[in-house]
Amino acid sequence: MIKVKGLYHSYLKDGKYAVKDVNFEVGEGEIFGFLGPSGAGKSTTQGILTGLLQLQKGDVTVAGYDIKNISRKMFNKIGVSFEQSNVYNKMTAKENLSFYARLFDVETRDPLELIELVGLKGKENIKTGEFSKGMKHRLVFARSMINNPTMWFLDEPTTGLDPAIAAAIKDIIKDRNKMGVTVFLTTHNMYIADELCDRVGFIVEGEIKLIDSPKNLKLQYGEKLVEVEYTQNGSVKKDCFSTILQKDKDALNKIINEKEILTMHTKEATLEEIFIKVTGRELV
Amino acid sequence: MKMWSSFKKELILAARGFYFYVELGFAVVIMLVILFAIPENFSSTNTEYFYFNLPEQGREISKNSLLENDTDGKIEEVEIETGGKVYPAGLIVSDEQEIYIFESEEAVRELADSERNLGVVVELDENNELFYRYYLQGYESTRLKNLLSVLLNESTVVLEERINNQEVRTLTTGFEPITERKNTIPPLVAFSGSLMGMFVMAAYIFLDKKEGVIEAYAVTPSSVWRYLLSKVFVLLLTTVVSGLIIVIPVMGFSINYGLLLLLLLTTGFFASTLGLLIASFYDNMTKAFGVIYLLFFILMVPGIAYFIPGWDPFWVKIIPTYPILQGFKEIILPKGDIVYPLLTSAGFLAGGLVIFALTNIRFKRTLSV
Ligand SMILES: Nc1ncnc2c1ncn2[C@@H]1O[C@H](COP(=O)(O)OP(=O)(O)O)[C@@H](O)[C@H]1O
Ligand SMILES: [Mg+2]
Repeated sequence: MIKVKGLYHSYLKDGKYAVKDVNFEVGEGEIFGFLGPSGAGKSTTQGILTGLLQLQKGDVTVAGYDIKNISRKMFNKIGVSFEQSNVYNKMTAKENLSFYARLFDVETRDPLELIELVGLKGKENIKTGEFSKGMKHRLVFARSMINNPTMWFLDEPTTGLDPAIAAAIKDIIKDRNKMGVTVFLTTHNMYIADELCDRVGFIVEGEIKLIDSPKNLKLQYGEKLVEVEYTQNGSVKKDCFSTILQKDKDALNKIINEKEILTMHTKEATLEEIFIKVTGRELV
Repeated sequence: MKMWSSFKKELILAARGFYFYVELGFAVVIMLVILFAIPENFSSTNTEYFYFNLPEQGREISKNSLLENDTDGKIEEVEIETGGKVYPAGLIVSDEQEIYIFESEEAVRELADSERNLGVVVELDENNELFYRYYLQGYESTRLKNLLSVLLNESTVVLEERINNQEVRTLTTGFEPITERKNTIPPLVAFSGSLMGMFVMAAYIFLDKKEGVIEAYAVTPSSVWRYLLSKVFVLLLTTVVSGLIIVIPVMGFSINYGLLLLLLLTTGFFASTLGLLIASFYDNMTKAFGVIYLLFFILMVPGIAYFIPGWDPFWVKIIPTYPILQGFKEIILPKGDIVYPLLTSAGFLAGGLVIFALTNIRFKRTLSV
């Protein structure tokens, strides 16, 4: 569904790249998660894939269309949910969706049904200017599926939502995917990624560090993390070490030899911990 | 279908916004000002200041010749104050003129300067011939200056002979001048319709940029140019409505409304695409304000020139509002030219299309994520 080869993008064309040498493929029916801290280049990548940003360097095809000479028809097949909640504040929720629906050439979904689906029932005739940020974000999410897309781009679909609503959104994505929809999802929420994604790509400072399935990552790192409590200069310290990475092994060795160990046990790594181990970066 | 739906949406947004009513309200205010505050005709008398630096006899002869036209045949003794000084003068009033005769050249010079009227000093030179010194305002055209020197250097007899021997053939028959009130319509229509269109369009785009809705539009099968064009249509509608609000009450149905609509639409199109283009370079109104203000000022200059007869330099004529004003003027003149407004319309349509194409490219390039 998506093929990206040697993708570079510099906003100011000044040799400073927001994404550099990005390569990945997303198969049909797959949920692919782009994970990385804010500023990593996730939205930039999605922007290029959806034709919002001009392709500068690299080869990109989406749903069979070459992004170099984009065809408006492509947008009948794809749906885009934005990080920014971009709706008309002076129009009601229903008006926003109804107007949007008419821009497509294909059959579209009932705006009221979608509004209900994202938990905004009863708010359909309220101007979105009066909505909270989270409510607007859900409306943008609902809008992105109005044309029954087979290729669905979701930029931070659950960010800023409370956990119950985030879970509901997650279920909607799962449902659509079961019907065969391919999903490209960017997030910095590891739990969502862990539960939803068939494969994840770790991106930091514009570069992809690793692509694999959460399952493989856990097999590789699972039960291979050691949590150690020890005393140092009279106070208790707690650290986590991988038993695969050489530098972690060395550090652990040093502590065992030099410090007084209080507790020590192995544990299953979360995706977040794996991310930190692999990229050396926190997910904020 | 997509176009219609976009247009309808833009209309709803405009109707729920603020600028829509500003534009129409403005037109209503202008219409009321034209109807109730501007007189049908300004006082058409012009004022001139004379000083006859001549012997007593010559002074009397000159005064008497001016008096021939006076309404009551008498010189009225008045005092005029300027720059803290009071000058006594004799006032001769005719249908077309008010002539003040002073007793010093200083008075003439002071008043010509402060009141911005023509001042004339008449004296004798060494050959005992009449010698005229004119105090002009500085903006008079070379033609007027030449005319004055020709009038004075040729003996009046020769001139009269020549004028009488000239054959005058009238090209347009039945030329009627329009009233001063009607004369104010072209600049006001151009200002409230076309110029406001530019400003309001930019304001609309900045609202949309703030909300980020252009990006949402850009990921649908509908093109960005449709989005831009639907905005232009809304602006055209308000331009036409505000133009008609001003024109109909003053002109009634005596003019060619087809031609008026055409010129309103094409100039409105040009102005709104200009607004689009400006808005494509900036993120918000605050950043664009300098440029918009500057452009507004430049485009206003032909409106100023319109009211200063004799001030019509070349550079004013190449400012786009100049042909707009002249076009509207031809339309409201009873026997105005039809070709001029048609050509002007064609020009603005073409110009608008070029700017629109440029804008479309710019908007596609400046989308963000
Ligand atoms: N319009 C822009 N102009 C210049 N730089 C930008 C622009 N948008 C994003 N960037 C920069 O590009 C980098 C990647 O940003 P982005 O793709 O938004 O990251 P993410 O979505 O992962 O948080 C950041 O360093 C950001 O500052
Ligand atoms: Mg982002």
